[in-house]
Amino acid sequence: MKQENSNPSDHTKSASRTQRLAVLALLTAAALMIYAIESLLPTFVPIPGIRLGLANVITLITIKRYGARDALLVLLARIFLSCFFFGQFMSLLYSLCGGLFCMLVTWLICLLLAGNYLWIISIFGAIAHNLAQLAVAFFLTKTPGVLAYLPFLMISAILTGLFTGLCAHFTLKHLPAKR
Amino acid sequence: MKKLPSPRKTAILLTILILGILIACAGFLLFSPKRSHADRLIAEIYQDGVLIKSIPLWEVTASETFTVRGQGGEENVIEVRNGSIAVISANCPDKLCVHQGFRSDTLLPITCLPNHLVILLRPEAPENGGQSDALTY
Repeated sequence: MKQENSNPSDHTKSASRTQRLAVLALLTAAALMIYAIESLLPTFVPIPGIRLGLANVITLITIKRYGARDALLVLLARIFLSCFFFGQFMSLLYSLCGGLFCMLVTWLICLLLAGNYLWIISIFGAIAHNLAQLAVAFFLTKTPGVLAYLPFLMISAILTGLFTGLCAHFTLKHLPAKR
Repeated sequence: MKKLPSPRKTAILLTILILGILIACAGFLLFSPKRSHADRLIAEIYQDGVLIKSIPLWEVTASETFTVRGQGGEENVIEVRNGSIAVISANCPDKLCVHQGFRSDTLLPITCLPNHLVILLRPEAPENGGQSDALTY
């Protein structure tokens, strides 16, 4: 009797876990693809650290739809895989510091705003990402001169964060509802 | 558990914060006293935070190139011209330092992060104007 009860629930549970795994893998693949395409684009501004950060759209979508834990998994998978595929070991440190600090701030602001106003969440994530990368740059070069990039990086973070936030917002509108 | 303020209120506060950062940065860039197109600029090349070369750019008559090498096999070829300096080739993957091109103002340093290289431009200090001539060239 007990087994009959537990079996169907086990079945649905494992099915939903499989589905979650598939969805997260899909999101990771999408993030990797966006990252790869973005790295092929020529740099618009010849300033290190200024980039669109389109792969963050996937992080935002994941955190909004599936929560911070899954978003963290997708982010880490994307960073490590992109390093193995396209990058060199050096960029891992930058990506990890930027990505993790961005994730932390995104999560906190997301809690504060209860998941609304995705563009604000995204802007703060971008600011955190750029701050963390500048900190790594400062740590690596040990030259205070790199701090001259701070205002440029902040302005670009606000603009690109707004853009990626709006991208995520409109993408979420068109994605089929979570089942 | 402490109740969070309403998302709407927080959103307004955060938007004001964003605008504040934007205005502060824009203001800093527009009115930065550091920005200088002075005739007499000194290029300082740092690697791992150590000043390895200091070049008074106004004294450069013909363009010349030299290579800065790091411990990990990094190489940056730097070209100096009269009044400007650039990294013209590098063996880092992103080549951002090369894309920064020739610089002749003090606004932004040239940086090659993978090679831990920073090139700062600063105007010749007026109080010890004669000192720069004695620096390593």
